Amino acid sequence: MTATASAPPVSARGASPLATIVRLRSARIAGVILLGVLVLATLGPTLAPYDPLQNTSDILAAPSAAHWLGTDYLGRDVLSRLLAGSPVSVLGAVQVTVIALVVGALPGILSVYLGRVFEWLTLRVVDTLIALPFLVFAVAMTALLGNGITQAMLAVGLLVSPIFYRVARAAALEAVGAQYAEAAQLAGASTWWIVRRHVIAKVLPPIGVALANTMGAGLVVVASLTFLGIGVQPPAPTWGGVLASDLGYLGYRPYAPLFPTVLIMLTVWAFNLLADAIRDASGASGRALLHRARGGLGRTGTAVAPSVPSPPTPSERDAEGAVCVPSESAASEAPVSVASASDPSDTASERGTR
Amino acid sequence: MSALPPVLVDRRGFLGLVGAGAILTLAACAPAAGGGGGTASTTLRWAAGSQPWSWDPVVQGSGFQFNQLSLVYASLTEIDEDGVVQPGLAESWEYDEAGTSVTFHLREGLVFTDGTPLDAAAVAAYILRAKGQEDSAIAGDLTSIADAVADSDTDVRLTLTQVDHQIPLLLGRRVAQITSPAVAPDDLTAAPVGAGPFRVVELVPESHVHLERNPDFYRADEIHIERVELSWGIEASSLVSALQTGVYDFADIPAAQAQAAEAAGLDVTVHPGFNASNLSVNGTKTPFDDPIVLEAARYAIDRQELVDTLTFGYGAPTSQPFPEGYVAWSADVEDPWPFDADRARELLEGAGYGPGDLAVELVVSTDEPQHEVLQRQLGAVGIDVSIRVDPNWNEPFFGKQLALSTYGTTGRESPVQTLTAHFGEAGPLNLSGVASPEFLAAVQLARETPLDSPDYPANLQAATAAGVRTTSTIFTFSLPNLFAKRGLSDLPQIPGQIHWTGVRLEA
Repeated sequence: MTATASAPPVSARGASPLATIVRLRSARIAGVILLGVLVLATLGPTLAPYDPLQNTSDILAAPSAAHWLGTDYLGRDVLSRLLAGSPVSVLGAVQVTVIALVVGALPGILSVYLGRVFEWLTLRVVDTLIALPFLVFAVAMTALLGNGITQAMLAVGLLVSPIFYRVARAAALEAVGAQYAEAAQLAGASTWWIVRRHVIAKVLPPIGVALANTMGAGLVVVASLTFLGIGVQPPAPTWGGVLASDLGYLGYRPYAPLFPTVLIMLTVWAFNLLADAIRDASGASGRALLHRARGGLGRTGTAVAPSVPSPPTPSERDAEGAVCVPSESAASEAPVSVASASDPSDTASERGTR
Repeated sequence: MSALPPVLVDRRGFLGLVGAGAILTLAACAPAAGGGGGTASTTLRWAAGSQPWSWDPVVQGSGFQFNQLSLVYASLTEIDEDGVVQPGLAESWEYDEAGTSVTFHLREGLVFTDGTPLDAAAVAAYILRAKGQEDSAIAGDLTSIADAVADSDTDVRLTLTQVDHQIPLLLGRRVAQITSPAVAPDDLTAAPVGAGPFRVVELVPESHVHLERNPDFYRADEIHIERVELSWGIEASSLVSALQTGVYDFADIPAAQAQAAEAAGLDVTVHPGFNASNLSVNGTKTPFDDPIVLEAARYAIDRQELVDTLTFGYGAPTSQPFPEGYVAWSADVEDPWPFDADRARELLEGAGYGPGDLAVELVVSTDEPQHEVLQRQLGAVGIDVSIRVDPNWNEPFFGKQLALSTYGTTGRESPVQTLTAHFGEAGPLNLSGVASPEFLAAVQLARETPLDSPDYPANLQAATAAGVRTTSTIFTFSLPNLFAKRGLSDLPQIPGQIHWTGVRLEA
């Protein structure tokens, strides 16, 4: 039920969305960085040249051949600590994203289909969640449920789920009013079939954008919490924890905060770049990009997306199997943060299809 | 009663600082209040990590912030550079023959800053309040005092429950900062009134207190600072630059910042004191209720490594709560359990403990590097330690519910008070809550020995040795207070106390 699953008709016309994404230079840069992050997250502790908890008498040493990033306040190898801290930092972000996706996206789609009571209730719940400051809430959750990254991330995941709820709902709202969906309904298709066939495909690209974005935001949240000493017990290393401890010894290693900072920034930047690439490659702008590439007007691999959406061609709307290419402008309008999300409830009155 | 080393702001406190910083900036912009005291050269700007627990000295207790309260309050007695008791509000005192009653003679004409006379009745009222107030942090220090009676305007007679020659030392800055009886105890927190060198002009909790010179202070002619602006919540890593750029004149700094402070041209001074950190082991809880495990833990601690790693050259290893050279320091327990990891391992193996058999939680109040070192040192001999930072650590620690914790004392004016706090049954710093008959006998003898008796040092040292040997607390290292200052003459070298008499601001 993913876009790539029904790829044949698309590739017949040129390229799958995935292939389009890969064509973008920004996506390739993001991919390389994220591949590196994946390696750190899975193999980091194995790659660490030293025991990240082993202190030595050589405290606060400058970078050297033996210790590439120097040693910390207990003489521990900073490189090893950053490597060993990668899984916690990255998995925390993954956890936030998965929880937010599961809790947000499905009710978002269902809010369009399951009637006004469900719609009203979920919208109010989402409004409430948006009103809560998630970092502070995460701190409170650790006080309540115990000091662990999992507990904190559970709270953060719940509180950022409105992103997915709104994105999914906005996209579903557009699909539900589309003529092809109405036609399918008239032809006797069940709601679930319509959701699976028409809505999911339309919802996926903006979800992809939100996913990449939330990963970046989640990483910042994990780094912030561990910086504050929440969610980890010493001496467990984390990126944020290494950064926090470096700040106490600026007189000795003024450059030390750069190492974890660069790592955090690069990762977050790569996720945001990926989100941009997905947005550029999907929906109307994606088609324009493809069109330009095919027509020789565009330079393959540029990240520049035309802002004028091209109207969907009839062929994209008619045959029931071919609608998996996302159309209209849902993707390019996909909110990238809670703040920029348009309130889907505003458009609720515009629906007259049910 | 807590006496933590001067911890500046932890990471969680950092969030609050953003707000506090904004307030401070605003405060700095405000014109200096008070007539004649507003010029920079007579205003001391002091940056402190945290504010006092309370501005009522009875509630504040012996924690290091008593030094902030002593801006406002004067104490019954003082100590000199050697820790020897000296006159304060009381210019003299005398014991009766039996040593069960002591009369303090106050100076004439003392007055609180609210105009209330500081007479014998006020002192007696304070001592009785300190003994009886429900939230008193010092009631436990006053168990030797049965009653306080004003015999005249200037004579306060204390009747004692036992022979105790430590009372003049006891009634110093940590225990007897006399408050005005005209102010209800609950109101002291908002508007402290004492007879100290300064009086409060403005107090904004968690932000700052502004004070001006009190002309009625009994040593007012030695106070050359017209105004004090004390600010709280300053992030440790920004202290040096704040001093360097002239935002503050004085701060206590962590050892890690000393090098940066010296490089910045600040005057970094090592202040004498009675600071001593310990690994608080509860000998009544698993696994330390097995004497073999306790013994192994004692040999497992490498004090030199703690000193080398944590103190940046300013600390020293210690096995007792007193610095070498002090009257109560005992050569007998200079290093009774020298670091010997092999021996610790052998002890545990001999007792049948295999790898993973011994696990214990180290519950601490703040995230400090020393915990990670201690964790590794104990782990190296086979005692697996997990660290838990508990924001509500006070309750289980002083309730003696923990098996393992850490504590840093800043000492007491009375060495007997230090000893009973660490080794006495009810001693707040004795995590086991058990005292040996040997220690109790030795400390009683020390308590009954007059301060000027030739036997006093020996009796005191015997009590120290008995306490160290029979209590499960493991002393680790001492790190003196470090002050960074700029444009300020040297402070009197009174151990553990910050005095402003004779201190001048240099232009």
